[in-house]
Amino acid sequence: MTDAVTTDAVDTGDHACLTFTDAEERLDLVAAFVRDGLRSGQKVVCWTDTISPDGLADELTARSVRPRAALRRGQLSIAAVSGSLLGPADVTAVGMVKVLAGEVATAGREGYRGLRVTADMAWATRPLAAAGELMAFEAAVTGLLGEGRLCLICQYDRDRFDAVTLAFAAKAHPKTVAAQVYFEHPLLRICRQYSPPGVRIAGQLDYRHRDILEQALTESTRLDRHMHLNLAGLDYIDGACAGVIVAAAMRLPASRRMTVTCRRAVATVLDLVGGSAAPSMRVQQAHEQQP
Amino acid sequence: MDHSFDANGLYALRATLAAHASELGATDQQIEHLIIVGSELANNAVRHGGGSGRLRLWHHGSTLYCQVTDQGPGIADPTVGHSRPDPRSSDAGRGMWICRRLTTELIIENGPDGRGTVVTAAIPAPKIRQPGPDALR
Repeated sequence: MTDAVTTDAVDTGDHACLTFTDAEERLDLVAAFVRDGLRSGQKVVCWTDTISPDGLADELTARSVRPRAALRRGQLSIAAVSGSLLGPADVTAVGMVKVLAGEVATAGREGYRGLRVTADMAWATRPLAAAGELMAFEAAVTGLLGEGRLCLICQYDRDRFDAVTLAFAAKAHPKTVAAQVYFEHPLLRICRQYSPPGVRIAGQLDYRHRDILEQALTESTRLDRHMHLNLAGLDYIDGACAGVIVAAAMRLPASRRMTVTCRRAVATVLDLVGGSAAPSMRVQQAHEQQP
Repeated sequence: MDHSFDANGLYALRATLAAHASELGATDQQIEHLIIVGSELANNAVRHGGGSGRLRLWHHGSTLYCQVTDQGPGIADPTVGHSRPDPRSSDAGRGMWICRRLTTELIIENGPDGRGTVVTAAIPAPKIRQPGPDALR
């Protein structure tokens, strides 16, 4: 059994498992992990698989991380997992641990006080991948973590991995990284967003979940100087809930800001209940999703 | 379209409204407005009109009509929604304001036997197809 924590609760010496089903949530947590590492002066390495290195850099930028400058000065490295962790030859656990040890040594030589690594493990789900080596790697990597210079988050897509592998992954990692979820239902999901910090809501939101919305907004008001409401995945909001959001924005002092990203239909309702009259509120349009 | 609903049927109601309006050739924005208005009226019926209701949708010329009927105690003030609610307060009362802003006409009447409420909203939809009068009534 592992403890579920948020990315701000992982540090050097930690080996954590990030299991996800929502790609947005994974990228949000990875962005927060990268951001916190760069801010604390550590070196950060991202090994990506399902999206290209350039694509990941763009996703980080969209989440208020500034990867380009960090890439240029060498504090951040983003590479495809197949050309880095997995190496050019046969994939073996020993080989992967060696690559990781090399990164730890390099970061130390470069003067960084620690190394943060996050790796997308989706490669192990492809046909003919050496999936068994993944499990051996997860078990063998513990030795490197004992030195207190490495923090490793391994990403597992719950829709791609089988239950046996996921159970092993949960056991092999002392910590599990997950977003705080306020409400989860096939038609509505309300969870905390970490980068940029705020709340993410997807699905359909009406008066029946107003209390949960108020709870999420209250927490964000308390924790975040500037609140980001990511409503890009919200198909519908009613006047009651839109009113709760606008009222929360109206209560913010002039020095604070609430940025809402949403589609046109949601922006319409926010505007009708007085969103444009809230000086602290900025509404920016998200791309419309094709049905 | 003639659709009965209760609190558990609000998701399905929105999907049905969108499908019917799309079938009529309404634009994305017209469909959005119809869903916003129809849902606010249906929410009112569930919350204040006895817990359930009936929604009918039809078009006449270039106007979509959305009518919601409930069996509740009725709306005391048929002019409700004409004044803008205070955005600093999260109190109820925004639904009718929203509906009035997105419709060219919103008629609030008592039910036929003096019980319940009938609200009829007219939404301009100049691009809908014209297969014949009252096609979906």
